[in-house]
Amino acid sequence: MMTRILSCCTLAALALTGCNELQSALAPRGDEARRVALLTWILFAGAAAILFAVGGALALAIAGPCRWRRALGGERAIRLGGIAFPMVTLTILLGYGVWLMRETIASDRPAALRVEITGEQWWWRVAYADQGGIRLSEANEIRIPVGREIDLVLRSADVIHSFWVPSLGGKLDMIPGRTNTLRLRADRPGIYRGQCAEYCGGPHALMALEVVALPEAEFAAWLRSAGPQPSAPASIGERRGSELFQAAGCGACHAIRGTEAAGTIGPDLSRVGQRRFLAAATIPNTPENLARFIAKGQSLKPGNAMPEFRVFSEEELQVLTAYLGSLK
Amino acid sequence: MSLLARARAASRWLLASWRRVLGTALILIVAGLAGITLFAWIGVYNVAASTGHFHVVDLFLRFGMENSVKTRAPGTTLPSQDDEDTVRLGAGHFHGGCAYCHGSPGTPVSPVAASMLPPPPDLKDKVGLWRDGELFWIVKHGLKYAGMPGWPVLQREDEVWALVAFLRRLPMLDREAYRALAMGEVADESQTGAELAAGRGTSDSVEACARCHGLKEAPRSQLVPILQGQPEAMLADALRAYAAGERDSGVMQTAVSGLSERLISRLAAFYSDLPRPSLRSTLPPERAMLDRGEGLAREGVPSRGIPACMNCHGPDGLPTYPKLAGQPARYLEGRLQAWRTGLNGRNATGVIMAPIARRLSPRQAADLAAFFASLPPGAGRNDRVER
Repeated sequence: MMTRILSCCTLAALALTGCNELQSALAPRGDEARRVALLTWILFAGAAAILFAVGGALALAIAGPCRWRRALGGERAIRLGGIAFPMVTLTILLGYGVWLMRETIASDRPAALRVEITGEQWWWRVAYADQGGIRLSEANEIRIPVGREIDLVLRSADVIHSFWVPSLGGKLDMIPGRTNTLRLRADRPGIYRGQCAEYCGGPHALMALEVVALPEAEFAAWLRSAGPQPSAPASIGERRGSELFQAAGCGACHAIRGTEAAGTIGPDLSRVGQRRFLAAATIPNTPENLARFIAKGQSLKPGNAMPEFRVFSEEELQVLTAYLGSLK
Repeated sequence: MSLLARARAASRWLLASWRRVLGTALILIVAGLAGITLFAWIGVYNVAASTGHFHVVDLFLRFGMENSVKTRAPGTTLPSQDDEDTVRLGAGHFHGGCAYCHGSPGTPVSPVAASMLPPPPDLKDKVGLWRDGELFWIVKHGLKYAGMPGWPVLQREDEVWALVAFLRRLPMLDREAYRALAMGEVADESQTGAELAAGRGTSDSVEACARCHGLKEAPRSQLVPILQGQPEAMLADALRAYAAGERDSGVMQTAVSGLSERLISRLAAFYSDLPRPSLRSTLPPERAMLDRGEGLAREGVPSRGIPACMNCHGPDGLPTYPKLAGQPARYLEGRLQAWRTGLNGRNATGVIMAPIARRLSPRQAADLAAFFASLPPGAGRNDRVER
């Protein structure tokens, strides 16, 4: 018995090591997430109190004084504890929850920024929109200004996905044919990881994203620097890489602003060199990993929609990754 | 006691109980197996092909074979006997894969093949005895114990049907007509004695690409691609993939299997340098089909994950990618169809193309094939097509 309890405790402790600042509902870094966390703690505390009370009542019903046992065994106890109490408690909780979440569901204040996020099998299409239409296409990494309210416009291109960045807010489904809006605000600069939280087929487990919260000035500079013309390839290798990118037909699926590549099937690569991760936040963005993803992507992310390009030689992969890495 | 009475008594004793019946049956089976093993072990049976079968054994084997084929063959018939494209493709493969054993019009069965048991028949007299489905079944699966091989790539039933189409034509052919069909522009027999002695310039060889693909002229079958002027790297890759069995074609694997790496490079360089012949004229497809095909080829269908074909297959594409402008429509459609049925997805370029081809509907594939066939060779991404 003792060893079983010990091993359970060890397992629980191991599970706790999974909680970190990067992706945790228990480490809120925004209003929305804080409200979710508050509600969570209220629920935990309430559930603990009820568990304690039920345990006590059970003990009294078995071994308590005669008067207690009679009271607990009567119909009155069931009416009160089994019907009235849950109804009142749950109604109060629902009311409180709706009141708490009123900001998330409908806010009158205009958002500082609208970011359109479309769930695709198995990556996130990101578009920074303004009144004049879409300004900037990105993928799998969402940059936002700190301290400002952001509206995330969530859609799906194929099946149901679910957008969840636990440190910033609750999860919201992306449903084909529907548009859901999630309002978030990050309190402090940092990187917050999120994941698709609704099984969406094949490599669903490898469909993650990162929200990078930047100080406002830095964010504005980042947004401004996304001009229509990318910097020209600096070295001979990079230029060869850019030629190879066009000749190999990469541009049929991927876009790079200011070049002939204007494909919209896969992620926009205009600033792929700037991203921290590849393949929807699953592998670190290094030249080696990029080369592996191009040539042997199915072993890194089985089932992903990009066919393996085994046609490239080692040297060709090198110039190609040098070029892509230079896109910032 | 008479013999009969004794036998009667023995059988009465045997049949008296189930145990005795079963025991006796078991003893007989074991004795039979031991007898057969002994028969094979002491080598009393003569396996020599030279001695032939006893007449009765021959009749029995033939009886069994004919009934087996009739039972298993599909009831399908040849779609069209006048489809010259399939007849020519079948003729080309017949010459490379079948004629050595079966002979061809004007060329008798080789003495080596004729010494097989059973000797391969001259097909002129035989094809009329079988229905289309039966011929198809024999060509596809071959015949056990007869030396008749099955098709190298069983999934390519379209190739098997092409051979059946040719077999239906075979009885009507004389030597000249056969050579014209199977060898096309390399059918002439003007080699000098010295060339013949050195084995050079013989258009009969299996590897003679030009029999089907042409040299100065375009392929005579619309099911066969134009190789002249294609990128060298792409041709060499294709040959390597066929030789390694990574591309699925019984016809091409047979033709290429004997080529060394050095010959592959030379062959690829040779065809790549040949001037591009013009496509044999076919019925022009309808305008709407070409328009749909052009839209697909230039824009793709992003919402369905279909990229624009021209990005890879236009004039600026990698040298490992084929140029599609001016290829026969039937060939292109067949290639797309093969990918949709799960073939050809193993070599480096097949891996890229297979998932894309699988997203195309049969109509989209037909539209694309018609559009690319209508393009003049070398047409580019943004060239407008005059119609």
